[in-house]
Amino acid sequence: MDPSTAAAQLAALRTDRAQLAARVVPPWWYDPCLGLVVFVLVAAISLRYAGWVYFAALAVGVGGLWALVAAYKRITGLWVSGLRPGRTRRVIRVWVIAYALVVTTALVADQEFGVRWAMVAAGAVLGFGVTFLGRWWTRVYVAELREGL
Amino acid sequence: MTAVRPRFDPVVHTPPRLQVCGLLAAVDSMDFAAVRDEVGVSDSVLSKHVRQLEEAGYVDVRKATRASRVRTTLALTSAGRAAFAAHVEELRRIAGV
Repeated sequence: MDPSTAAAQLAALRTDRAQLAARVVPPWWYDPCLGLVVFVLVAAISLRYAGWVYFAALAVGVGGLWALVAAYKRITGLWVSGLRPGRTRRVIRVWVIAYALVVTTALVADQEFGVRWAMVAAGAVLGFGVTFLGRWWTRVYVAELREGL
Repeated sequence: MTAVRPRFDPVVHTPPRLQVCGLLAAVDSMDFAAVRDEVGVSDSVLSKHVRQLEEAGYVDVRKATRASRVRTTLALTSAGRAAFAAHVEELRRIAGV
């Protein structure tokens, strides 16, 4: 193979990735819905002594998550893991740290100081946060695809 | 980060297969129909090339039936990812970039 053919094939691969960047962007409602699901799942912890209500809330959260994944796959025709290697790992690190800090603080407030709404507040903070982190993650991923191989 | 050793791969090399591998390398999995639309070939042509990639152990093909429709999903295997990365390095070496 001559150098110009190799260069042309690399250029074609870069073009394909740039085109793919348009396809991977989720619809506008995807990240707010993900935020809502996170809110339900985290806030449900405050219902942990409420018997079936707790399990019903968890089922709603898990069902919502499943529906979101299915909708993303149907709309875009692909799936990409949030934990994929690359620069998007930065966003995941921020999420893990924020999640650990917020949930730990809320659990301490709930268990040690009897603040019963602490997990609901934590759910709201994390749900709001994941809406923006989701958008940030997509921006980083799209930029990575557009930059080429 | 481990450096990828350049290696020409005749299975990956053919343009439609190179394109398919390039798309699948950027995602976890992709619908057959989405790959077909991105690559711009017919179902039969894509099927032929996917089968060659599958026989080489580079692509995993999964079929799922939902609402009486068969949905085919393609994903690069770890061997496929390694072969594609090595082939791209070889292209870079030849192109001198």
